[in-house]
Amino acid sequence: MPESSLITDDVRSLVGTATAPVRAQLSRRAVERAMDTFLGMRHPPAPEEGQRAPGYALAALEPEPERVELPNLMPNSLLISNEWQFERPLVVGEEISMVTRISDINERFGGRFGYSIYFRSDVEFSDASGALVARSVRTMMQYDAADAREGGEE
Amino acid sequence: MSAAAASLREGDELPPVTITPDLAMAIRYCGLTWVFVPFFYDVEAARAQGMPGTLVPGPIKLGLIERVIEEWLGDGGFVRHVRAAHRRPDITGRPITIHGRVARVFEEDGKRRADLEIIIQNVQGEPSVRGFATIEFFA
Repeated sequence: MPESSLITDDVRSLVGTATAPVRAQLSRRAVERAMDTFLGMRHPPAPEEGQRAPGYALAALEPEPERVELPNLMPNSLLISNEWQFERPLVVGEEISMVTRISDINERFGGRFGYSIYFRSDVEFSDASGALVARSVRTMMQYDAADAREGGEE
Repeated sequence: MSAAAASLREGDELPPVTITPDLAMAIRYCGLTWVFVPFFYDVEAARAQGMPGTLVPGPIKLGLIERVIEEWLGDGGFVRHVRAAHRRPDITGRPITIHGRVARVFEEDGKRRADLEIIIQNVQGEPSVRGFATIEFFA
C-alpha cells in the first residue's frame, strides 16, 4: 500500500478533460439491440421512429463517444457505481451528440480494499438543439487486490 | 400507468421482479456496448479470478433496474435518474431479484416525482446492488 497519495498534479489535471463531441443516431435498430439485451430475444417490436425509446436504450449509444484514457495507477480496477440521468425520454431516430469528461478523481486510505483511487467519468448526451437529454456517470476504483480484505459489503 | 403507480405513497413496495441474467445476455451486452472483459463471457477467465462462473456486467444491472421501473410505470411517466452501487458480483445463470420501495413522493418544477430505494438481492438474500431512482409522472 502506498504511504502517500498517487494523485499527482498531472493526474489531478485530468479532471475536466473532455473529448470532442461525437454524433450518432439512436436508430430503431440500436433500440432493438438494446431490447434484445435487456428483455431477451423475444420481445414486442421496437417503437417506431419518433416514438419514445426505453431508457435502457442509452446503453446502445455507449460505444459511440470517445473515451478518456485513465492512467493505470494501481494493478486492479472495479466498477463501483453507474447511473443514468434523463432530462426527458429518449426518442427513436433522434440524433445525439456525446461528450465524455473525467469529472472527479479522489482516493481513500484504508477500508476493505486498502488504498484506492476513484475515477468518476460522465458522458453527456445532447440533442440536435444542444439541449442535454441524458447523462451517464460511472465510477471506477483502482486498487491492489493484494491489500484487499475478503467478504462483506464495501 | 399502473394503478399502483398512479396512487403511489411513501412506503409502498414495488412488486419484486426476479430475472436470471444468463451468459447469452452478458454476451449481448458486450456486443451492444462493445466492451469485452473476458470474465463476462469466458468461464476460464472468470475462474482464474476466483469466481465460480462468468460475472454479470454491473451496467446490465443498472439497465435491468431501469427496465423494471419503466415497465411498472407504463405510459404514466419516465425514469429521470437511476443509480446502481455495486456491492457484490452476480454470477450468470443465477437469479437476482429487484426490489423497490417508495422513499418520497414530491412536487418539483411543477412535476410530480418520486424517489425509490432499490435493492438487487442474490439467491442468498444478500444485496448485490444498492440503488435509487427518481421517477417523473407525466401530467
